[in-house]
Amino acid sequence: MSDIAAPRSSTRSRSLKGGGRNRSGQTNFELYSWLFMRLSGLALVVLVLGHLFTNLMLGGGITALDFGFVAGKWANPLWQVWDLLMLWLAMLHGSNGMRTIINDYAEKDQTRFWLKALLITAAIVIVVLGTLVIFTFDPCLDPSSTLSVCK
Amino acid sequence: MDVKVKILRYNPEVLDESEWKTYSVTLLPGDRVLDALHKIKWEQDGTLTFRRSCAHGVCGSDAMRINGRNRLACKTLIKDLNPDKEITVEPIKGLPVLKDLVVDMEPFFDAYRSIMPFLVTSGHEPTRERIQSQADRERFDDTTKCILCAACTTSCPVFWSDGQYFGPQAIVGAHRFIFDSRDEGTEQRLEILNDKEGVWRCRTTFNCTEACPRGIEVTKAIQEVKRALIFRRV
Amino acid sequence: MQRHQYDVVIVGAGGAGMRAALESSKRTRTAVLTKLYPTRSHTGAAQGGMCAALANVEEDNWEWHTFDTVKGGDFLVDQDAAEVMCREAVDAVLDLEKMGLPFNRTAEGKIDQRFFGGHTRNHGEAVVRRSCFAADRTGHMILQTLYQQCIKQNVEFFNEFYVLDLLMVGGRATGVVAYELATGELHIFSAKSIVFASGGFGKVFRTTSNAHTLTGDGMGIVWRKGLPLEDMEFFQFHPTGLAGLGVLLSEAARGEGGILRNKDNERFMERYAPTVKDLAPRDMVARAMANEVREGRGCGPDGAYVMLDLTHLEPAHIDAKLPDITEFARTYLGVEPYTEQIPVFPTAHYAMGGIPTNIQGEALANNDDVIPGLYAAGEVACVSVHGANRLGTNSLLDINVFGRRAGIAAAEYAAGVDFEELPPEPEAFVVDLIEGMRSAEGTERVAAIRTDLQATMDINAQVYRTEGSLKQALTDIEGLKQRFAQVSVQDKGKRFNTDLLEAVELGFLLDLAEVLVVSALARKESRGGHFREDYDKRDDVNFMRHTMAYRTIDAEGNVNIRLDYKPVVQTRYKPMERKY
Repeated sequence: MSDIAAPRSSTRSRSLKGGGRNRSGQTNFELYSWLFMRLSGLALVVLVLGHLFTNLMLGGGITALDFGFVAGKWANPLWQVWDLLMLWLAMLHGSNGMRTIINDYAEKDQTRFWLKALLITAAIVIVVLGTLVIFTFDPCLDPSSTLSVCK
Repeated sequence: MDVKVKILRYNPEVLDESEWKTYSVTLLPGDRVLDALHKIKWEQDGTLTFRRSCAHGVCGSDAMRINGRNRLACKTLIKDLNPDKEITVEPIKGLPVLKDLVVDMEPFFDAYRSIMPFLVTSGHEPTRERIQSQADRERFDDTTKCILCAACTTSCPVFWSDGQYFGPQAIVGAHRFIFDSRDEGTEQRLEILNDKEGVWRCRTTFNCTEACPRGIEVTKAIQEVKRALIFRRV
Repeated sequence: MQRHQYDVVIVGAGGAGMRAALESSKRTRTAVLTKLYPTRSHTGAAQGGMCAALANVEEDNWEWHTFDTVKGGDFLVDQDAAEVMCREAVDAVLDLEKMGLPFNRTAEGKIDQRFFGGHTRNHGEAVVRRSCFAADRTGHMILQTLYQQCIKQNVEFFNEFYVLDLLMVGGRATGVVAYELATGELHIFSAKSIVFASGGFGKVFRTTSNAHTLTGDGMGIVWRKGLPLEDMEFFQFHPTGLAGLGVLLSEAARGEGGILRNKDNERFMERYAPTVKDLAPRDMVARAMANEVREGRGCGPDGAYVMLDLTHLEPAHIDAKLPDITEFARTYLGVEPYTEQIPVFPTAHYAMGGIPTNIQGEALANNDDVIPGLYAAGEVACVSVHGANRLGTNSLLDINVFGRRAGIAAAEYAAGVDFEELPPEPEAFVVDLIEGMRSAEGTERVAAIRTDLQATMDINAQVYRTEGSLKQALTDIEGLKQRFAQVSVQDKGKRFNTDLLEAVELGFLLDLAEVLVVSALARKESRGGHFREDYDKRDDVNFMRHTMAYRTIDAEGNVNIRLDYKPVVQTRYKPMERKY
């Protein structure tokens, strides 16, 4: 048909009981994904606001933000966990949102597949790298460092 | 008064592309858009094609996009449309157009049929009626109003994108039984809607609620089904 | 062209058609052919309720219901049929409830019941709560529930298939020819039994509560086969249509306490029906309203209507019991029923007459013989349970009771016979009709002829009729038929050609309008929905009988209408004066 403003897949005939839809089997994946978005969203509000507050308002405020400040924070396990949670939740939340958008707007199954592949790869790379950084971060790698934590 | 009506015409027997045509009709302010379409068909261009039947908003035949919004042509009065400006009329979106304002309703009805839209019970039937309290009856009253006109489903951006989503109407149809105290098919129906094309694709854009000519709170019904799925209790 | 073979073919998917399909598809291979998607059928527009003597809220029994039906029909009702209907009413309602229909409930959780016009306790003592309802959308709920059950049972539908001819071999019905709207293709259905459930023909009138699609196709097809139509002069005018539009406002409005008032704010029904007042049968109320207007007590600038007053009812009560019709008033007339009275005037509503059947739903070829394999149910049929005037709610009852009976009878008949060989070129008649219409080059337009037909019917054959007005209508119809011969359609295509469809429908309307008027001319009395000002009394001596109209073709090829009569079946009730 030439004039459907919103394009659609060619799957037209669907059998009874929804069998024609690409059913994902009897999993609760979409349910948990939906729930995860709500819960992670809530958690992120706390995590991000807390993060912004400590970084920008406490102590010297934004002017005191430097390498040393970050190094100092990550010496504390609380902030390690905090930032790790923020990283994971934000990445999963964002990626899941992107997955939704791809599901909604990608027209062809192939496009959908490759976009999702790209998305998942990107998410994994960032999460892995970020996690590595948080746990293996060594501010004193440079022997000539003058930071207080290295003394 | 003279009103200009701009209609998206399409007839593959004549032309592969759809095209806008503008008609000028004399109408009264209290006339319906359906009256305008009839006047055009009966007095100017007999080839104009649309579905209609009851003409007062209960049969659900004439859902169409009027000035960019899904409405029933028989329930939309000219005076409520700013008749100084051109009135645009297009077929509802997301279903294959067959001719002019007529779309293929089969995918829509398929979705409805797939959610088991009938009372499921077990055991012996009582001799008299099943007892249901007034409060229990009231619980699903809103969704019993549905006339299957497809205004909601074809206003939904998620449905537009690929037409695989069950769509708001099917969920409304399921809601009517899920929240009926006499029904015992809730588990199965919820399982169907737990599908990846089920309720979780709803983005709460509220287009459906706005489009419903029967005033059903469609988005609310969808949210209630989501809640029932999460807590497994209605 | 495609050929199909089914044991039972049902034409029409409204209440009667789907109720029949539920029975017959359980028993045998069944197809339902319908001009519209099933849920678009006009059963869905019914509002007020479905009567059955459940006695859920007060004492009642089916015999009282039978009496009311007979009296409401001005004693032209076949009483054996009325007994069947009213007795089976209770199970019909309970069946629907078990199918899931969401009836309103009493405080104890039983099906709630309310007052309705003409339904009384103990043979007319007082009004009785008998109508089972779901707000003011009972028909909608029935249609939805039946469709849902059809989905559950996997009933086979052919949607937007327009049946245009009935095939008969040696007096037996053997199939139908249908036109597929989407493609313009013809389909021949061979069947052992055929059930017509295609509804009425309200579109012969301009002011009507009927859908655009109610063009009497089923009656028209049967008529053209030379088969009889019964009691066609009896057409019901519903008292409360929105003035000027004809959109139906349910009698439930009065059942819930609404009052009709004239321009002096008088509750005028007290003068016409002192006992039941606004809840008199529809024919009496409609005439009373028309009379108020005629005698200058109408409301509005032209005094053209009366008022329906709901303002004394609690808004919450209105919202609970009458939400849809009050919305109609707001949408179409801009009237707020909480605080303002609603302009109303009678609107053409229901054909009491139709294809004559017996209580099994078998169609009759004459007064005595059935047509093997042919069945009819619902508004298209005349059993006759409605006689000269149908009581409110009895149509929803009719479709359920006789739809069910016709479905069972059709399936059982199909089980006992073989398929009949179809006549050679079974599609010939329809090809001629369709292609003739498509290729016609005349100058007349369908809409113009239809408008003129509706105008003359509204003026001359409505609530009040006289010899003169009916003769005028007949002359007009003859003229319109000649114009119809010159009609042409603009859309010559195959795909969804609704232009062509409307032309075919107009052909049926013209035929049926003529039968209505000819039958009415011959009935020189006033009874129920048929009121002759020149014969304003009921005449039981000469006219206690059903009209049977036949289409005949004489030696010169002229088409005529022959009228015959059929006795009324009387069992318990002797005719008496009809007072309320």
